[in-house]
This record gives sequence, C-alpha cells and structure tokens, in this order.
Amino acid sequence: MSEARQIVEVSELGVASSGVSELDNLSFKLAAGEALIVLGDAASGKDALLRVLDGTTRRSDEMSGTIQYGDGPALPAAKRGKPGIRVVYLAGAADAPLNPYTSVASQLARVLARRHGSPRASALAELRIALERFPAAPAFAALSGKPGELDAMDLTWALLAAAMAQAPDLLIADHAFADLTPTSIRTIVAALMQEQKRLGFALIYAARGLKTAAHLKGRMIVLRQGRVVEEGTFDKLASGQSHAYTRTLFKALPRPAEAAPARSATRGEPLLQVQALDLRSPKDIRSAKDGGPRTRDGISFELRRGAALALIGEEGSGRRALVRALLGLERVAGGRVVLDQVDMGILSAAMTSRLRRRIAFITGADDALDPRMTLWDVVDEPLRAHLRLPREMVAGHRETALKRVGLASHDGRRAVATLSPFDKRRLQVARAIVSAPFLAVIDEPLRGLDAFAQSIMTELLEDFRRQEGPAFLVITADVGVAQVLAEDAMFFKDRKVVERGPLRDILRNPKDEETRKMIEASLPASL
Amino acid sequence: MTRSSTQSLHAMLQVAGWIGLGLIAVAVSLSDFLASAPADATGIGPLLAPPSTLLHFGSDILGRDMLSETLHGLSATVRSALPATLVTLVAGALFGFVAARLPRALALSLRGFIGILASLPALLLAVLVIGLSARGWAAVAAGLSAAPFAFVRAFERARLQERATHSEYARATGISGATLLRRDLVYEFSDTILSAAARALAAVSIVLSTVSFLGFGAVPPHRDLGLMIAASKLYFLHAWWTAAFPAAALTILILFARLAAGLDEGERA
Repeated sequence: MSEARQIVEVSELGVASSGVSELDNLSFKLAAGEALIVLGDAASGKDALLRVLDGTTRRSDEMSGTIQYGDGPALPAAKRGKPGIRVVYLAGAADAPLNPYTSVASQLARVLARRHGSPRASALAELRIALERFPAAPAFAALSGKPGELDAMDLTWALLAAAMAQAPDLLIADHAFADLTPTSIRTIVAALMQEQKRLGFALIYAARGLKTAAHLKGRMIVLRQGRVVEEGTFDKLASGQSHAYTRTLFKALPRPAEAAPARSATRGEPLLQVQALDLRSPKDIRSAKDGGPRTRDGISFELRRGAALALIGEEGSGRRALVRALLGLERVAGGRVVLDQVDMGILSAAMTSRLRRRIAFITGADDALDPRMTLWDVVDEPLRAHLRLPREMVAGHRETALKRVGLASHDGRRAVATLSPFDKRRLQVARAIVSAPFLAVIDEPLRGLDAFAQSIMTELLEDFRRQEGPAFLVITADVGVAQVLAEDAMFFKDRKVVERGPLRDILRNPKDEETRKMIEASLPASL
Repeated sequence: MTRSSTQSLHAMLQVAGWIGLGLIAVAVSLSDFLASAPADATGIGPLLAPPSTLLHFGSDILGRDMLSETLHGLSATVRSALPATLVTLVAGALFGFVAARLPRALALSLRGFIGILASLPALLLAVLVIGLSARGWAAVAAGLSAAPFAFVRAFERARLQERATHSEYARATGISGATLLRRDLVYEFSDTILSAAARALAAVSIVLSTVSFLGFGAVPPHRDLGLMIAASKLYFLHAWWTAAFPAAALTILILFARLAAGLDEGERA
C-alpha cells in the first residue's frame, strides 16, 4: 500500500507582527486524509498560522521558516507565491464573510464560479450537488435566503458544501463549528469526515475548545503564546496531559459525572411553580380551528429555592419560549406561573417588573449587555435602580463583585462594546452577584468561549450559586454544561418535554431516543 | 479608499469644523473690538466704495464699513442661532428620546404628528410660528422649525435601542422604562449632543437668515446677515461686495457647523 501524498510541510515557522512574536518555531507535516487540530486561545498564535497558510498575511507580519505544499519545493514562508495545491478556507457561520443583503446561494456560487472560472449557473449546480451529498443538510431552496434568515446549522451546511465543491487538497477550518450545539457538531463532523474519505483532503481545524476536537479525533497540537506546549492524538491527550495549560483546557471538557450532586430539586420551599403552561400564543389558537392541535401541551414543573433545573434541547425546541413565558415577556394561551408565592397571571405590569428584579440573566448572547454602558455602570445599575443605595455603598458592592469575577483590574470607564466575549460574560456574573437574585436564568453560558475561559466561567457560576444561593434555570443544548450546573433536567424536542428527572439518572439510563442522542453528542463515550 | 481611511478623513473634517466654529465664536465675542466701527454706523466711508486698502470689504449705500457690518451681522446671527439651537435640542432631540419611552400608542401618535411637521419646509414653519407670536420670537421659531427633524432622529434611535436585545434582558430583570431612558440620556444623548448641536446650528442659521431676508426676522438697526443681504438687493449688481461678504460669512458659519456635525445633513432647513 502506497504512502499517502504529503499535502503540506511546515518547518520552523515563526511569525512576528509589528515586532511582537505571535508564533515561534512551529513544524508539522500533514498528508492527504489526515486531520490536525490546532488548539489554543486568541493569543496562542493559531490565527497567525492560519494567516500564513491561507495567504492572508498582514503587511506587518514578518515570517521565518519554510512551507512546502504538495510535491513543490520548500519555500521561505515570507516569499511563497501561490501554493501548488487547492487551499480552501472554511469559516464558522458567525464569522463567514457574507453580505447580509444577498442570498447565501448566490454569494457562494460567486465564490465557486471565481475559483473554477465557470459560469454562475454551473457553480450553482455544483453547490446544489455538494449540498445534496449531505443527507442532514437543508434543501437547496433554503439557501436562497439571506445569511441572517438561515440558522447557524443551515449556514454551516451551506459553507461546508461550498468548501467541498471546491475539491480542496487542504481544508483550513477556522472554528467552523464552534457555535453549534453538540448534536449538530457531531452530525456535521461525521459528514465532514465522510467527505474527507471521499476527496482525500488534509484538514487543519483551529479550535478554541475541545467540543469539536472530541469528535474529530485527529492529531492535536496545543499552542500557548506562540509555542507548542503539547502534542499527540486527541485520545492520548484526553487520557493524560503533561502541561498545566493543557490540563486546564481538558478540565472544561464535559465528562460523565462521577460524584452525586450535592443538592436535589425535590427539597426546600418552592420558588417557581408552573402548572399546565400552554406555550401557544393566543394568536396561534385563534388562527387554528378548534384551538389547533395541542402540540405544546401544558408543561408543569416546580423549582425549589436554591435548586437547579436544566432545560436541555436543540435550538427551537421550546426552552427559551418556556422561559419567556415564565417571565411574562410573552403572552401564552394558558397555564399558571407562581413565582415566589405570587401568581404572575394576576399581577400588573409594574408588579411583574418589581418581581423580576430578583431574577438575573447570564447568557452567551454577546448583545445581552448594553454596548454603550461602561463596565462600572453595568454593575451599578441594579443597585441604583432597585435599591437606591448611596454612592459609597454602590462602589463597595461593585468592587467586591468585580473582584470575584476577575474584572477589578479593568478600567471601569471602558464601554461594554470594547470588552471581549469572556469579559462580557464575567461582567454579567458580576451584575448578577450584586442583584442578589432568587432565580438566575443561565442561557448557554459557555457558548463561543475558548476552553480556558469555559473552565473559569464554569467555576464562576458554581461559586455564584454556592455563595448567593439562587435557583438556576439553565438553558443549554450541551448535556455536559447541564451536568455541571444543574441536578435536574427537562429534555425538549419539538416544543414538548420528552424526558425529565434527576439528570444523573437520565444520563445513566435515558428512556427517550432523542435524549440518548443528545447525551452521546455532548459526552462522547471515549471520554 | 478604505473604510478606516474614510473614517479618519471624516474625523479630521469634524475637528476642522469645530476649530472653525471656535474661531467664529472668538470673532463673535470680540466683534466690538475687531470691528473698526460700531454697528450701523453710517458715513464711515464714501457711499458704495469698493473694497480697498482703507475699507477692506468696501462700504454700502449709507457709507457703512462692510467689514465692521459683516462682523456685527455675524455676531447677531450667531447670538440668535445659539438659543434657537438650544430650542431644537430640547424640543427636538431630548423630547424625541423621552417620547420614544412613552406608552406605545402615545409615542407612535406623537411620532406620526411630528413626522408630518418634519415633512413641511422649515422656513414655512418658522414664518407660521412668527406669525402666531411676534417678530422678536424669530429665534424660538427657528429652533422649533428645526426641531421636528431632531425629534424624528432621536425618536428612531431610542426606538432602535428599545427593541435591542440588551433592553429586553434589562426589562426581564425588572429594569424600568425610566432607567432605560436614563441610559439613553446618559449615553446616546450625551454622546451625540455635540454633533446634534452642530447640525441644529447649521439648520437654524439658515432659517434665521432666510426669515430676516424675507423681513420676518431681525429688526433694524440690529442687522443680522440675512437682513444685510436683503438690504443689498437693490444695488448688489453694481456693488457686489454689499451682498458677497455677508453671504460668505453665512456660508462659512454653515459650512463649519456642517463639518462639525460630521458632514451629516440631518436637520436640513
């Protein structure tokens, strides 16, 4: 059997930008059909590596070392021309350089037409064929929508199809699946690996976290501050890490729990009681004959003070609709919500708003905080607006909260818009701490963070719950996240609860097929 | 031209606009010292003398020094435009931010009514207000005539903020409409107040000069630039300097105000 064709060999690559070293002495070889996962945070140097490989270096970049593409000669990284192989870049749905006002199909077809020098009609046909190769992908007609009209998963399928239609020799995936749910990652990685077998391309996947890496299972290099700190196969690194940084990264990877949770939702005074909540809007009912099919039949559950309940499901499964209905942000067809012994249905808007003061939100949405506000104002606002505390007391509470989340050293006059996603997430925790809530709604708190930040964020949330003792309502598609933050769970599918109970019991013995698939996707058996 | 270089060019022009307005402010505050003759002083030179080394801007039909008169006219225009700008900011921008947080039906009714006012020529609105009040109210009338545009702009910005995800999260945690309005006032209003003021200054300067030109504004002997241009109507064909210098002063004032506003047409007049 002949040896696989070498696709790229990088030797002693160094990149410095404006005199600051970003990558130092990196070497690796990659053959056809192989996958290399480059793991690291924003300052690890993986972005510099990607810039060099896909030919998008900056003027300020100074490069050393050599790169050899395919059978061509090894050329200095600083002087290399067009590579002799097809290098294709695959971005994530959130970062894809797409025009928001034009259809996805036409934009991707334009890329293909330019790449192949073929007419647009033929490029569209190629895109359709590539998309239809994926059984789980949306219908080609869905791509006629603009980027904002497609959900993250459909857009990722479209981008992957466009990449495959270019028949790459080397595919560079830049956090391409980072924002997807575990089940979606599992599906799309399986499709990618099937295509890799068919087309025989080499894959470099730049990852912030380990969720995608756990499914790709390729060779891995861990970068920190421009240097390789550890390398090996995923399984080898998962079973034991020699470097402290790698250990921290792997700590964030969800694994089946070994210890029983400390608390259970079945004890204590009830905080939230939901009875037969029908999530259909009054408009839905009016527009359907006889009230329409009760597809979202009444949901009932109880959340005790200090307990934690995870609402687990894919996007659109009804978890957020439930929370919005609970908080009275959306009118629903029927049901009763009792929060802190008060029936929300009989309260005026002003009283509902007053009750909501004891609710905190911590979410993975980067626009959850007003981008115009300063760091200090975000923390001060609940203290000023709800408690009307004197300035000195506000400053004291703020200082303590910011210290706890590690933001005390930041300039308090910085606008939220200038903060990193991780800082914004920590700032939400600080705001929640000063609000002294009895209920915290935690919505995909680790989304988009690198593994290191995920690890810290998880610790912050655990500490928040331990010290302030709010009940947690955790919205997530990742069973691993739910396992860390909650003891009980409700699994949603098509806006119905398909399974509920203590999470540990469900993990051991899931009764519903969808639940089992979600658990397998979030907690790979190999871990 | 890249986006960043376009932005830096805009920023430079904006700074140039503010520097220009600063120089005009200095000229206005020192107009009595800079001008060689007091306002409306006749017989300073020969009648309708062209610009010369003695009379740099020439003289008008009554022998008034046009340089001194232009400085005094600029001063009169700016002194009327400043309160008018304040009226625009309060009755337009500030009211727009507050109105957007009123109950939905009331807010949309106000938006609709003021939107109709914004579609009318500002000059006609100013004349209407002067007609309903008195001639001395020209500054208030000019401010009110430019206010609908400022209102609509502020209202739309505030509505955009109200529909933003962060506002929904805030409401879900019991943050009241009053606190959200405070955010708008602290951040949005204070961030945009300078450019809004510059935009309003340009708009009210045009309205004030035009109503004076038409005879509804400044009353002699207190002549502003509009009235000076109107006074030169009969003889500017053979004495161009009587109209050209006041017009140039008005153009420079509006140009610098527009530049300071970031080349944003906004409250057009």
